[in-house]
Amino acid sequence: MAEISTIARPYSTGIFSLAKEDKKLSEWSDMLKLMASFINHEDVFSFVSNPKIIDSEKEKLLVDLMGKELSKEGINLLKLLVENKRLSIISTISSIFDELKDADQGTIEAELVFATKPSKIEIEDLIKSLEKKFNKKIEANIKVDEEIIGGSIIHVGDTVIDASVKGQLLNLAYNLKA
Amino acid sequence: MQLSTSEISELIKNRIKDFSISSEARTQGTVVSVTDGIVRIHGLSNVMSGEMIEFPNNTFGLALNLERDSVGAVILGDYEHISEGDVCKCTGKILEVPVGPELIGRVVDALGNPIDGKGPVKTKETDKLEKVAPGVIDRKSVSQPVQTGLKSVDSMVPIGRGQRELIIGDRQTGKTAVAVDAIINQKGQDMKCIYVAIGQKASTIMNVVRKLEENGAMEYTTVVSASASDSAALQFLAPYAGCTMGEYFRDRGEDALIVYDDLTKQAIAYRQISLLLRRPPGREAYPGDVFYIHSRLLERAARVSEEYVEKFTKGKVKGKTGSLTALPVIETAAGDVSAFVPTNVISITDGQIFLESDLFNAGIRPAINAGISVSRVGGAAQTKVIKKLGGGVRLALAQYRELAAFAQFASDLDEATRKQLERGKMFTELMKQAQYAPLTVSNMAVTLFAANKGYLDDVPTEKVLSFEKELHGFMASKYKTLIDNIEKTAVLVEDDEKKLTKAIEDFKASNAF
Repeated sequence: MAEISTIARPYSTGIFSLAKEDKKLSEWSDMLKLMASFINHEDVFSFVSNPKIIDSEKEKLLVDLMGKELSKEGINLLKLLVENKRLSIISTISSIFDELKDADQGTIEAELVFATKPSKIEIEDLIKSLEKKFNKKIEANIKVDEEIIGGSIIHVGDTVIDASVKGQLLNLAYNLKA
Repeated sequence: MQLSTSEISELIKNRIKDFSISSEARTQGTVVSVTDGIVRIHGLSNVMSGEMIEFPNNTFGLALNLERDSVGAVILGDYEHISEGDVCKCTGKILEVPVGPELIGRVVDALGNPIDGKGPVKTKETDKLEKVAPGVIDRKSVSQPVQTGLKSVDSMVPIGRGQRELIIGDRQTGKTAVAVDAIINQKGQDMKCIYVAIGQKASTIMNVVRKLEENGAMEYTTVVSASASDSAALQFLAPYAGCTMGEYFRDRGEDALIVYDDLTKQAIAYRQISLLLRRPPGREAYPGDVFYIHSRLLERAARVSEEYVEKFTKGKVKGKTGSLTALPVIETAAGDVSAFVPTNVISITDGQIFLESDLFNAGIRPAINAGISVSRVGGAAQTKVIKKLGGGVRLALAQYRELAAFAQFASDLDEATRKQLERGKMFTELMKQAQYAPLTVSNMAVTLFAANKGYLDDVPTEKVLSFEKELHGFMASKYKTLIDNIEKTAVLVEDDEKKLTKAIEDFKASNAF
């Protein structure tokens, strides 16, 4: 069985190259996110994944729901997904598209988790040093989580920089056990 | 488990003192699926093949499949607590096991953790599980013997230090017995032994350990156990772990003997892992690299040169060669040696000891088939005295087999043929040996000498073994200096030969058997 991302990748790259030609990257990104949120809605999803309902019905419902927000190409994508029975992978298509978009623009998403609310200067400093380390523009997403006790945890893609008190305590516990 | 409290607090103090508080950058991934000890992980983009992956609750896994969108890993140990969505981290480390003389006398699992209830193993070093075997330049040809103490093995299929000799046969033919006897006979031979039990019943492993203990063999032996209830991953890794523990001695100019009991089960465990990882199955559903798992393991058994040892120990050990002798065991089904795994391992090793159930059931134990058992390099390493005296055994048995088949049809045989048949029968009887009763070189030499010179020809077949036993007792009490001399020099000079002839004649005259 192929993995979902393997199936979704050709769709994402196809959409990406089209979007890039038309210079509509952010529009497409928004459209894909919208489609993903609609299709993943419980009621809609149970409708579109019901094998008793024929494809043209599903297509009609989806176009009626989102048609106003989507471009002509967007509606075509919807029709294609219905035809190929791949509506369920829309959120993966959207996330791979965003990754491609970020890579193209030289930006990378980062999640910064702090124990206490950081000051603006702190965040700016951190982002600056992260941008230097990863050599990319950082799109930061800041969260506050008291569970980490102190310090911060930075997620950039697959890489995690753990500078939290909780992480260090776990590390110490592991070292004592070993 | 007993530990002194001071030791613990001291340990903790040191650990806390050395503990460095620094932020760490590690690659993370998420578990997508868990199936029979195999996990698929999303993320972990920087993982290396064979790298350890850390899961929650101090569990570790081994990355085996690196694919475009996921990583396939096998969990080492329990996997029930791991679930979809769990976060796992790269450790940047390749799997290692503890090594060193501290492991001797212990029973450990495939990862080197003690399982004999004798407290922690205080090893100072660890070493990589998977290593590349020494190259051509670093090796030396096999020239020293490994005495198994079994008449039939030492005289017909001699094993040298650094050799790989396969023990192959059906179930219940005494494969483990041959290997365990070989370990027991290493007492006082300056040989460290490692017994790797793969996929066996825990009760069988316990019996082997108890027998080794009873015979004083645990003083120089480590047992690595991956029993049938351990996960397939541990059964697959156990031989490599044992090999790494043996290489420690080889690389330091010492001699070690390792028994892999048995590699068929390892291949089966690897087949399970491979199929669960969705690698394409080949012949008998084994994956394409089943040959390589055995060849890379057995290549690590070698005799290394003085230069290699000196270079490895940075000049601390000079002028000593090191060796790791391997006795892999393969179980065949209904004597089918042309199955996939047996043919592979036969072609990798330097010879095989072939055990047959027909012989075993006929009471010929060890049930070695002398015709198809061979040692490709052991001849060069055979003890001189055994080489000189043992040459006749193989020939006599070969001629006997040929004649016996032929003689079934003939009613009356001429004198020469009849004599040869009798002689063959006598040798077959003489090659029988009880378990856990290895013979010294000198005793073996006395037996072979007596048989070769025809002193046993007029002894009734059923009395051959008691003749041998009494002869050994007689020699030990009356000709101790001669026996000690043969044992020490391992050669039979003309002078000794005369003395030995006289001794055996004396014994026969006494009619003690």
